[in-house]
Amino acid sequence: MSVHSILESVQGSALAEWMRDTNPAMQVVESTHVLAAVLVLGTVLIADLRLLGITDSQRAFTRIGRETLPLTWAAFAVAVVTGSLMFTTSAQTYFGNTAFQLKALALLAAGLNMVLFQVVTARGIATWDSGRPPRAARIAGIVSLLLWAAVVLLGRWIGFTKGYDFAIPPDVELILPG
Amino acid sequence: MRTFAEWLYGTTPSVAVHSTLWLIRLLQATHLVTAGVAVASGVMLALRAMGWQRADEPFETVWKRFAPWLAASVAVMIVTGIAQTIGDPVREFTATSYWLKLALLLGGVLGTWSLARVARRAPGAAFSPAAKLVAIGVIVCWLALAPLGRMIGYDLAIWGSLSLRE
Repeated sequence: MSVHSILESVQGSALAEWMRDTNPAMQVVESTHVLAAVLVLGTVLIADLRLLGITDSQRAFTRIGRETLPLTWAAFAVAVVTGSLMFTTSAQTYFGNTAFQLKALALLAAGLNMVLFQVVTARGIATWDSGRPPRAARIAGIVSLLLWAAVVLLGRWIGFTKGYDFAIPPDVELILPG
Repeated sequence: MRTFAEWLYGTTPSVAVHSTLWLIRLLQATHLVTAGVAVASGVMLALRAMGWQRADEPFETVWKRFAPWLAASVAVMIVTGIAQTIGDPVREFTATSYWLKLALLLGGVLGTWSLARVARRAPGAAFSPAAKLVAIGVIVCWLALAPLGRMIGYDLAIWGSLSLRE
């Protein structure tokens, strides 16, 4: 089974059809996706700023993680569900969209950064949990911050580009740069 | 209101914004990222008032941690929001979501400020049930901002006959 046929069957599924045809399913799902993405970014930022030593320097990093991670994961789960629902509506278009591909790469990189942090950097966390994080942890913090901001921005960018893959309504004035 | 919006659309500042595609994108992107900071900061403060986050720290400490980030991000959101409104006033002013978003932003700011006032009056004391109810309202206000911002583009589909675009 080729990627093309998988995407075609996803796009032709009853769920995708329901998403496209039920007003305002797509709009509600997309708005919820925006909320979830914004929450992921905001809560990740709390932990990342602690890693960078900018905020909460008196508070143990493990404690901040325990407090914010449940919110981050809950928001991430909502973002995955709503994002998948949106993807089904135009699977082939999204798959070929550069902004979407870059967003998927940024997500993957953010996940890898998190795994790397947990497996390698966080091993010696007892030595710096309540103090200044080592350079490796600070690098993980800035990388995480940049990647999650990129995920949100690239998500917005899909909206800027996606429309051009479809027929542009005659009453819409398209202003292109340059 | 529509007449005013149409007049504003033809003014020099509006033309400068809506004819510059990269500026619109930059404004929207900045607005979205700072929304993340504002929502997380506002929700954390309200959750502390409810005793669900950082209950081991006095509210004043949590306030000192999150209030500057909340104030700065709201300020950036207001500036980028005003610029977007000037750029496309008809789209914004004729959307029910836009006015609701503004009302909830005001609710979020005033609600958060009132929680800080309550904490200042009785430092270290637990928040009353009434204050916790305000905190729930504050969370709703902050959480609703981002989806309402997206809904401005879909006002008719979301609100139907309640949309001002009707």
